[in-house]
Amino acid sequence: MVRKGKSAWLLHDLTHRGPTAWLLTALLVAFYLLLYFTHFFTPVAHSLGLSSKWTLYGLLYTLAILAGGVHVLRKYRHNRYQVVRTSVVMFVQVVFAFSIPEILQFFHQPEYYFSYFWPLKFDDLNPSVVFHLPLFYALYSFLGALLLAPFLGVVFGKRWYCSWVCGCGGLANTAGDGLRHLTSKSSRAWKFEKISIHAVLAVSVLLTALLFVSYGLGSRAPALARFTYNFQTVYAFLVVATLSGVVGAGLYPLGGTRIWCRNFCPMAAVLGLVQKLGRFRITVKPNMCISCGLCSKYCEMGIDVRAYAQANQSFTRASCVGCGLCAEVCPRGVLRLENARSHAPQRASLVQIAPLASAASPSPGRPR
Amino acid sequence: MRYVIIGNGVAGVTAAFTLRARDAAAEILLLSGESDYFFSRTALMYAFMDRMSLRDLEPYERHVYAEQNIRLVRDWVTNLDASRRLLTLQSGSSLAYDRLLLATGSLGDAPDWPGLDHVREGAVHFVTLQDLQRAESLARTTREAVVVGGGLIGVELVECLVYHRQKVTFLVRAPWYWPGALAREEAEIVSEHIRRHGVDLRMDEEVAEVLAAPEGRVRAVRTKSGHEYSCQLLGIAIGVSPQIAWLRGVKTPPSLGRGIQVSSSFQTSLENVWATGDCAEFSANGQSLVEQIWYSARRQGELAALAMLGHQVRYDLPIFYNSAKFFEIEYTATGEISPSLPGAQTFFCRLPGREASVRITERAGSIIGVNMLGARWDHSIFERWIAEQRDMDYAISHLAEAQFDVEFGRVDLASVSGAYREWRARSAGTGSPS
Repeated sequence: MVRKGKSAWLLHDLTHRGPTAWLLTALLVAFYLLLYFTHFFTPVAHSLGLSSKWTLYGLLYTLAILAGGVHVLRKYRHNRYQVVRTSVVMFVQVVFAFSIPEILQFFHQPEYYFSYFWPLKFDDLNPSVVFHLPLFYALYSFLGALLLAPFLGVVFGKRWYCSWVCGCGGLANTAGDGLRHLTSKSSRAWKFEKISIHAVLAVSVLLTALLFVSYGLGSRAPALARFTYNFQTVYAFLVVATLSGVVGAGLYPLGGTRIWCRNFCPMAAVLGLVQKLGRFRITVKPNMCISCGLCSKYCEMGIDVRAYAQANQSFTRASCVGCGLCAEVCPRGVLRLENARSHAPQRASLVQIAPLASAASPSPGRPR
Repeated sequence: MRYVIIGNGVAGVTAAFTLRARDAAAEILLLSGESDYFFSRTALMYAFMDRMSLRDLEPYERHVYAEQNIRLVRDWVTNLDASRRLLTLQSGSSLAYDRLLLATGSLGDAPDWPGLDHVREGAVHFVTLQDLQRAESLARTTREAVVVGGGLIGVELVECLVYHRQKVTFLVRAPWYWPGALAREEAEIVSEHIRRHGVDLRMDEEVAEVLAAPEGRVRAVRTKSGHEYSCQLLGIAIGVSPQIAWLRGVKTPPSLGRGIQVSSSFQTSLENVWATGDCAEFSANGQSLVEQIWYSARRQGELAALAMLGHQVRYDLPIFYNSAKFFEIEYTATGEISPSLPGAQTFFCRLPGREASVRITERAGSIIGVNMLGARWDHSIFERWIAEQRDMDYAISHLAEAQFDVEFGRVDLASVSGAYREWRARSAGTGSPS
């Protein structure tokens, strides 16, 4: 289409997988490779007076969320849900994900992140870490992962975490907002996601179990200890560094903003399962959808929201992070995020409802 | 049994899927000259505004048609011979049918403005995919645009052109914007909003003449008030009419009026031929009725398919509802919403601090229409109240049930009940019926 001016052209190129997007991807991937696998940024951090490259990364990350957050707050200023949610996510990043760990270290306390939980923050339930923490932090680790997170997931859906608290979601929904439409909506991508995310969850649970067993047995099982150590190293390399960092954030300009959250994050997998049993759902206003597809286009999790909306089907999808953008972009106000008092399970899977739902449901025409 | 459907818009596609759901063995052919695949016509503006690609406008993944065993044919129909149950296509081939459904939709109305026939380039409608392509190709070389017609398509086209940073003049013949659906106070909210987007919105303006440059590109529009508005693009959005011109020349034309005349079970005057959606014309109580909105097309498509399958179908006009969006202002209408209804009383109030309003109309103690601007409402609740003949007191005190705003964003209804009490007191004071 027409794009007046160089800046408009550049912006479009960046957000539609043009050369600029590829260039940015290359830069981001290079950044993450240098960050995770080299000491390139250590002297940079030291020269800025920061204690490590991770502090530098945390600072950059927080700045990206703040700058993106200001942009998003302006863009969606008419939508109170977006304003409240974005403000919270910015606050959590600044306070819990950046400042408090630094302050704790200053007071010779453990560098502890209250906004992350197992299994996303894997070491939170790693016995050789958690059992050496002061009691308060250890209790928080266990209760947070095993009680608090799932409980809030039942009441509010996974959104309480994935789009209100988590830094990964925070970056996606602030700095990444202009790239959210790039997530694939195909049914193939959905199939892949269902396998991959639960596979990562299974691996992380297995690894945690092994860590506990190995910790319990101690020096009595040196082979297991070695195996577990290697397993842990591979997990850190593959899942933490590669999938959450290089792929998850590096490929934003090509694959959309939630590659990690959608396909790999074990925390999202747990909360997704909880969400299916809980109260959260997206309610569809009956017979109001005009099938325009903006909801699907701007779903960062690749959910074909339109398929539900045009079939008058309220729904709860495990992957939905409740960012609320489908409801925001809908030009007919068809969608509303809700914590329903009664659980309303989907009648059928997407494959079954599209596109025959209206024909299969009781006809409005009263054939006689 | 071979079903042939002409037109792959929402009426035709809904009919095709309904046929398939009820008859697994039928042969179903879906014809379109406009597009390879069904797309959401209501979303044309989002393609023009770069928010969607054309592919994004397709409501179903393409493999669905093969899975449902619905054959898609891209061609225009040039002849219909109902005596031989045969169609002739523009490509030259013929196509036999057992049962035929005409779902050809609407086209933008062509006005008879003097000078328009000299315009070879620059005048566009905004209804079809081809209209979109024309508008897109013109946008490149347009600095100033004029859009004529104070309805929904007009404002959508205006929004697109504003997005492309054109200087837009919006000419409306009526004294206020969209008087068929909006009261003057509502139109003021909408007009102010449109103007705040930099649009030069002019009421009471009628086109007198269209002026073309020597090479044929539109150059300006002169109105009956004597103003001349320079433009390189002229958007014509004065209404739509059933696409039936092609039927006038065929071997066996069905009975035509404003649209293709059908019975309440969608049957045309020809045997084994039905019509549905925008192009169908019903007669109810001696009045001719053509429904041209997305929702009615979808509903009619489903019912026409049932009729073709041999079900006894009677299309009763349902309670009207519609929705729209004027730039950022959302709009929901249910029931009778014309601002001047005889024997009716209307309560109207603006919501403080927002571009939003509530209008409820009551007749003989029952509400008959609800017209809402600026907030989100569930029209199906209003439909129920109208069907249940609830009165205005009930509607006002239960308004919260119909709210559909985002979390944290619900409009405050206290001001509505306050305004309503005042209004009641006033109308009691003047002795009008309560």
